[in-house]
Amino acid sequence: MSVPSVVIAKDRLKNLVTADRVHCTPDSIQLMSTEIYRTLSKYIELNPEDFQINFTHTDIHIHYINDRRKH
Amino acid sequence: MGEVIVITSGKGGVGKTTTTANIGIGLSKRNKKTLVIDTDLGLRNLDVVLGLENRIVYNLVDVINGNCRLKQALISDSRYPELYLLPSAQTKDKSAVSPEQMRKLIAELREDFDFILLDCPAGIEQGFQNAIAGADKAIVVTTPEVSAIRDADRIIGLLEVNGIRDHSLVINRLRIDMVKRGDMMSVEDVTEILAVNLLGVIPDDEQVVIATNQGNPIVGESPKAGLAYEHICRRILGEEIPLMDFHHSESLLSKVSHLFKMN
Repeated sequence: MSVPSVVIAKDRLKNLVTADRVHCTPDSIQLMSTEIYRTLSKYIELNPEDFQINFTHTDIHIHYINDRRKH
Repeated sequence: MGEVIVITSGKGGVGKTTTTANIGIGLSKRNKKTLVIDTDLGLRNLDVVLGLENRIVYNLVDVINGNCRLKQALISDSRYPELYLLPSAQTKDKSAVSPEQMRKLIAELREDFDFILLDCPAGIEQGFQNAIAGADKAIVVTTPEVSAIRDADRIIGLLEVNGIRDHSLVINRLRIDMVKRGDMMSVEDVTEILAVNLLGVIPDDEQVVIATNQGNPIVGESPKAGLAYEHICRRILGEEIPLMDFHHSESLLSKVSHLFKMN
């Protein structure tokens, strides 16, 4: 079965909007996110699936779930 | 002292002018003295949507340049005694008006009206700067499409940079059948990405095209878009009205039309 077109639209739109908000390309957003993750994981216990970065017009929000809290 | 609201979108053709006209009529029907201003220099449209195109003598540029008194340029509508239009000019010169002049004009006008609605041109150039110059708050219109939502997000950023933090969203031309199929973004999808207050959702409704052809309003005149615009007006006036249940109203509508067919 093919993917509903909404899934594609949302994916493209999220990348576009994020890139517009911080004035850089969608590719560099990806790189930036990966680098922030790497840097943080040097100091904090992190899991890729529990880590999320959101860009708004005025803030960058980093959400993560600390592994130890799960146990 | 009146409230000044700019209706904007970034992308063209998403329904700014129709929204301005219908909110303007809706508010005036509720006895609010309302002025709608077309700020799109060179491409005036609000007069046509309102069916007042034959009544224009003076326009916004005439007022700014002092070619006429302010009151002479305001067009009243015999159908709605509380509604007034300040039309735009058909001049090609987009720099005929400056944001500073708009700010001054709005400050003068707001003493006399309960609401002033500014119909903003598409784009983010001077016309946009003019339209937002005197506004207290903004209504951002979008359709559930990638390009329109992207532009709406940029506009929201620009509004914030310009000190307009009170903004809310109108999602126009929602097609419930396509949302159900997974081929159109839902209200939740759009608000998740834009993260702004939702003022209202206008379902796609061919009655809008018919009303616009005739120069008539849709607000309060059709069970889909007409009702949605009416709800928006009541929300602007402070009433708490829940969003229409589209899934339910759709099935109800089809049932009603089915009943009519049987007779």
